[in-house]
Amino acid sequence: MADATEGGTVKMAANERTAEELKEKANKYFKEKDYDNAIKYYSEALELNPDNAIYYSNRSLAYLRTECYGYALADATRALEIDKNYVKGYYRRATSNMALGKFKAALKDYETVVRVRPNDKDAKMKYQECNKIVKQKAFERAIASDELKKSVVDSLDIENMMIEDDYTGPKLEDGKVTLKFMKELMAWFKDQKKLHRKCAYQILVQVKEVLSKLPSLVEITLKEAEKITICGDTHGQYYDLLNIFELNGLPSPTNPYLFNGDFVDRGSFSVEVIFTLFGFKLLYPDSFHLLRGNHETDNMNQMYGFEGEVKAKYTAQMFQLFSEVFQWLPLAQCINSKVLVMHGGLFSEDGVTLDDIRKIDRNRQPPDSGPMCDLLWSDPQPQNGRSISKRGVSCQFGPDVTERFLSENKLQYIVRSHEVKSEGYEVTHSGKCITVFSAPNYCDQMGNKGAYIHLRGSDLKPEFHQFSAVPHPNVKPMAYANTLLQLGMM
Amino acid sequence: MATRQAFTDSDTADEAVRATCDDASMCKRFATSKGYWKDPYIQYFVRQVGERKAPEINRGYYARVQGMNHLLDAFLRKTACDCQVINFGAGLDTTFWRLKDENLLPKKYFEVDFPMVVARKIHNIKTKPPLSKPIIETHSSDSLLIDGHSLDSDRYCIIGADLRELPSLDEKLKKFQLNPELPTLLLSECVLVYMTPEQSSRLVHWAAETFHTAMFVNYEQVNMTDRFGQVMIENLQRRQCNLAGVEVCCSLESQKERFLKTGWESANALDMAAVYSVLPQDDMARIERLEFLDEKELLQQLLQHYSICWAFKDKLKLGLSQVAF
Repeated sequence: MADATEGGTVKMAANERTAEELKEKANKYFKEKDYDNAIKYYSEALELNPDNAIYYSNRSLAYLRTECYGYALADATRALEIDKNYVKGYYRRATSNMALGKFKAALKDYETVVRVRPNDKDAKMKYQECNKIVKQKAFERAIASDELKKSVVDSLDIENMMIEDDYTGPKLEDGKVTLKFMKELMAWFKDQKKLHRKCAYQILVQVKEVLSKLPSLVEITLKEAEKITICGDTHGQYYDLLNIFELNGLPSPTNPYLFNGDFVDRGSFSVEVIFTLFGFKLLYPDSFHLLRGNHETDNMNQMYGFEGEVKAKYTAQMFQLFSEVFQWLPLAQCINSKVLVMHGGLFSEDGVTLDDIRKIDRNRQPPDSGPMCDLLWSDPQPQNGRSISKRGVSCQFGPDVTERFLSENKLQYIVRSHEVKSEGYEVTHSGKCITVFSAPNYCDQMGNKGAYIHLRGSDLKPEFHQFSAVPHPNVKPMAYANTLLQLGMM
Repeated sequence: MATRQAFTDSDTADEAVRATCDDASMCKRFATSKGYWKDPYIQYFVRQVGERKAPEINRGYYARVQGMNHLLDAFLRKTACDCQVINFGAGLDTTFWRLKDENLLPKKYFEVDFPMVVARKIHNIKTKPPLSKPIIETHSSDSLLIDGHSLDSDRYCIIGADLRELPSLDEKLKKFQLNPELPTLLLSECVLVYMTPEQSSRLVHWAAETFHTAMFVNYEQVNMTDRFGQVMIENLQRRQCNLAGVEVCCSLESQKERFLKTGWESANALDMAAVYSVLPQDDMARIERLEFLDEKELLQQLLQHYSICWAFKDKLKLGLSQVAF
């Protein structure tokens, strides 16, 4: 039998030769501007000879030409890992970072090239250009951070906003929300009419004030004879919200409600939903509760319709104010120290206490991870332990996690929302984790029921009520083309 | 002055079906503009990128396009391009131009659609050099044969016809040198569902009778008897769009049956959730990073209600059973 090592060396040499041939082939394609083929053959060369910095560097350039900046950066980085003295590698990495807008990182690499090649005019020029950009961005950030601290509220002059004579819609009475105003408002919205911007701003400024005084964990007590209704996601489905009030009665001190986040986005009537909910919050601050959902954030609003809807019906400035108001929405609510309600779910780590939630500094966009993120984003899972979330944010938590959290915090169960359920609700983790979702026939496609929960102070046992979607005007969601009637693929 | 005939119900229905060509091309235009896949030609058929589509729609179209292309390219390679392709209800599809760029053209690429759609497409081709040049380049003479509802060249032919009228369809295809002896791939994307089961049955039967070595690939709805399917049917009805053939869309079994009982040797079907999971995962990871999807369930439901079904007959024993996922 032939000596394995010798055979191996011969094979490796042969591979290197073929790899070089493939690289030459790729280079040729590159010269002809056929970048896809260039990439293909560089890749084949790398399969035979995976430790070649030049191949990575060349492929990186081809990726740059095809605007695959992420791949270009990865290849440039690999090239430098293999050979940290390979100057071209620094160049490539800097170019990739520039394309990705990572100017500081690019500057570091240009610095390296200039240091190693002090006579290279091109390198010097690129360094100087990049340096200019970095300085400019730093300057912009400096002035922006001053502006960010100012609220939209400070630049509004609501007092002097005039309501035209021909506006026949609802107006605040003496600057206050009344039941009469709310009834008129709901009818006005049902008729697809617009609330005057002065009233809109009045509501937003007042509700911001009210919400900012609340703790991040709201605690309420239901007396023996009292009951509360907990609703899940409503997602701009205004006519279904009206239906909830039809079925379950208007909010009042004896008919308290808790809406568990995701009031806006996806549906076509987010503006109507949110002003109705904010109106009731102002009318009955102690019996009408709102918690923040993952859709009460800038990223979601930008993509899923709310920002577009506000800009279309009012202005970008008003959306800015909405954003500020959303930041003050509490993150969780505890009922009789026994039932905890939040939009998403429990935590990526054990040991989080109610006190930890109370202490969250919530006046911000949620971070990428941590308890505030988990409260808005996590989902239960059937199996024990925790897993990476299918959403790509936060985690999935099992029955054991729920059990531990409840026991450590002396709670009975949690109520959350965040996931569409065909029956409108779902009981999991042996009754310790309940999901409630109140947007029936979600996105006009899913055919699901909506549900809400009745909770009585006497026994705190959840009672589920389901309801179906009601018809609504054919208005497309602000974010999307196609009619609001999602038609799927055609 | 001739009296105008009032539009019949079937005219309205046909008009609604023709309009779906715009839905598909606008969705593909948007998705390509976001980088889901590359299509440098679609801009010549749909000028504006248009308003945004929901992320699950973009991902759904990605899976559809990649899935269909997978089978198409596999068939072309299996036959070493010594074959024909007929795309039924092709609309403003740009596959011919992609295949030309990739040197994967069959001997002849046929497209069939309603005359009104075909007339539009021909107009675009005539007036946009990036579309006409590749056709002229692959043609032996300097001039193409164009009339109101058809364009014929050596490698590309587009015909205006009604897929429910088979004798006329057969005649037109043969007039433009359709060769029944060549291995042939027939494609339909959301086409058969707009005909009655009888009409689509006759079409796939005609195909089985005409070609001895062929594959038929059909993309359309499936699992339509559940709630989601019912809601979709209701939504479409509100747009005067009737899924006349929805009966055949009740399951993967019924999709396969339509081929097996009309003379096809073998049939396979996957719902798009399955296709999604067998597509190259590194590219899938790339597209999933393009837009954040807030509710995965929406995509799941969408994918579970569409399928790709492919049937073949293989007299020449080319190994068509290997053209699969």
